[in-house]
Amino acid sequence: MESLRSFLKESLDKYDMPFPVDKKVCSGWAKDLPHGGETIIFTSCMYQIEPVVPTLSKFSSMTGIFTGALKGLSSLAKLVKPSKEEIDRAYKILNNVVNALRRRGINPGYLYEDEPYSGALLLEAGLLEDFANHARRVASMLRDRGVKRVITVDPHTHNALTRYAEFVPFDVEVVNYLQLVDAEKKIEGEFTIHDSCLYSRFLDLRDRYRELISKSGIKLNEDFLVTGRETSTCCGGPIALINRDLSESIAEKRAQELNKLSNKLLVVCPICYITLSPHFRGEVKDIAEVIL
Amino acid sequence: MTWEIAIERTIRNNVPRVYNVLEKYPYILELARELREAKLEVLNNLESYVEQTVESVKRIGGVPHVVGNSEEAREVVSKIIGDRKKIVMGKSMVAFEVGLREHLKNMGKEVWETDLGEFLIQLANEPPSHIIAPAVHMSKERAEELVREALGGLPPNSTHEQIVARVREFLRDKFVNAEVGITGANAIAADTGSIILVENEGNIRFTTVSPPLHIAVAGFEKIVPTLPHAMMEAMVQAAYAGLYPPTYVNLTSGPSSTGDIEMKRVSPAHGPKEFHLVLVDNGRVRASKDPDLREALLCIRCGRCHLHCPVYRAMDGKWGVPPYSGPMGSMWSYIVFGDPKPSLLCTHSGGCKEVCPMKINIPKVLEKIKARAWS
Repeated sequence: MESLRSFLKESLDKYDMPFPVDKKVCSGWAKDLPHGGETIIFTSCMYQIEPVVPTLSKFSSMTGIFTGALKGLSSLAKLVKPSKEEIDRAYKILNNVVNALRRRGINPGYLYEDEPYSGALLLEAGLLEDFANHARRVASMLRDRGVKRVITVDPHTHNALTRYAEFVPFDVEVVNYLQLVDAEKKIEGEFTIHDSCLYSRFLDLRDRYRELISKSGIKLNEDFLVTGRETSTCCGGPIALINRDLSESIAEKRAQELNKLSNKLLVVCPICYITLSPHFRGEVKDIAEVIL
Repeated sequence: MTWEIAIERTIRNNVPRVYNVLEKYPYILELARELREAKLEVLNNLESYVEQTVESVKRIGGVPHVVGNSEEAREVVSKIIGDRKKIVMGKSMVAFEVGLREHLKNMGKEVWETDLGEFLIQLANEPPSHIIAPAVHMSKERAEELVREALGGLPPNSTHEQIVARVREFLRDKFVNAEVGITGANAIAADTGSIILVENEGNIRFTTVSPPLHIAVAGFEKIVPTLPHAMMEAMVQAAYAGLYPPTYVNLTSGPSSTGDIEMKRVSPAHGPKEFHLVLVDNGRVRASKDPDLREALLCIRCGRCHLHCPVYRAMDGKWGVPPYSGPMGSMWSYIVFGDPKPSLLCTHSGGCKEVCPMKINIPKVLEKIKARAWS
């Protein structure tokens, strides 16, 4: 356990991310956004880097941990980059979000390579002291940059930032893009849906994105025991770093359940997308790829 | 594969049933809210409520025992039992927590679990996989095989009914001839010293009435302020377990007695001559004073959170330190056994907190326990 913690700490100190990451990969999607500003989009590099997390978690899962692998990971990870196809998809999603915000009259800035990590992984792993320290740094940085409002694009970042105030003084407004955009495209088609646990059961955004989906014209194939608010379950992704086998087992079972409803799946979270895709037979799409 | 079949069938059978119960009997929701408040009141003054319970049990002719840990619990129960040999047990997770059955067997006692699920795991020598359905990991086929091997007398491809009938036949004599009945308690009323046990099989009624000695072993957190609160806990627990109305609710207030001759109250009558209540701490007082953990003590053991948890489902019921499994068990593994590691596997799926009748924010409690696992 201690080696995993050291690895995360080392990565955060060196790369400002929980994994060794080339920050150019994180910021490459944005070309014409203002640098900084009172309102910024906050990606936490989630959509951009998540495609390589399963590879990294193979090394770091505590079920097969040994210090040598972790020490070697920093140099290895420079070589572990998302494929061009994966990067293009992530960049398209983020641009879809920004364009949808602009259509609503919101022109966010962006911190590009200076954008910090939210600390979500620390929070979710229970490294609360490390999370508090990280939150303090991010809060201070946002304050220094004059940021008053951040717009998050994924549930894990949204959850982490909305919880900063429990740990450190933090008065930046945190909103999620789903609260701001509208479904302007008309889509024909049927999907089933895998809800984000955080959006659905912690952040009260489940009804909001369902409203957007419904407005777009998409019909959702649902089953009370599979996609209900209280009965749907996690994709397994958040546990990958701690126990990859368990994460995979949860993902496999979840994908099988969802496949009984449709071979087209909508997700609202980059971790869910990456975790479920290898197990789901059919097409998996992020909501921001489809309705924006 | 057995687990996957069994849990799939369990979810399909149980989860919709709980929703139906709650829809049909909406007053349960109000009772659950009231019960939560009453239990919080106890947790804020746990030691004082233990004292009050002790006095109440004495007043009704019972014998209270307050023990700090598992070893003390085993010692006290052994002393109460003395030379008696034949023991029947009604499902008690705290008895498992303190290692009672194994201890008594090692002392040469003849001990039989009488709850069907507990009986099956006793035959299989396996730990319970669910807080109220301890053999939930077994398919019908596995249960059939176990009963056939141990007791014989089952035709090929026996039905659920035939398996249950064979166990009923086998246990009938055990109830009648038992010298000691050991149960847990769903709730304990501090004001009257009464215990409440909710069940459907009838085994607990037998266990509490047939033997001359009844010992109830329960955790401090089962104490509620008054007898109406104890009845409330039975109703809420049964409803959230999907079995409402429960077939039996057993109320025991001390040994049996009669006043039928000149209205002079004498004891015993047909039921037990002695009633002992063993109240177990095992970390509960410490948890009640810990703001990160206190909420976990509100758990009424309905087992609903298990079936809404992807980790429990994926780990074949083996998440937590037996007898505590699943989301609640992950909290209780730390409270009772001091093991924080199960908490690390929580994915904060969150279904547990949504369906918990006591509104325990289980992922939040587990988050705090995770932090202790790292330190």
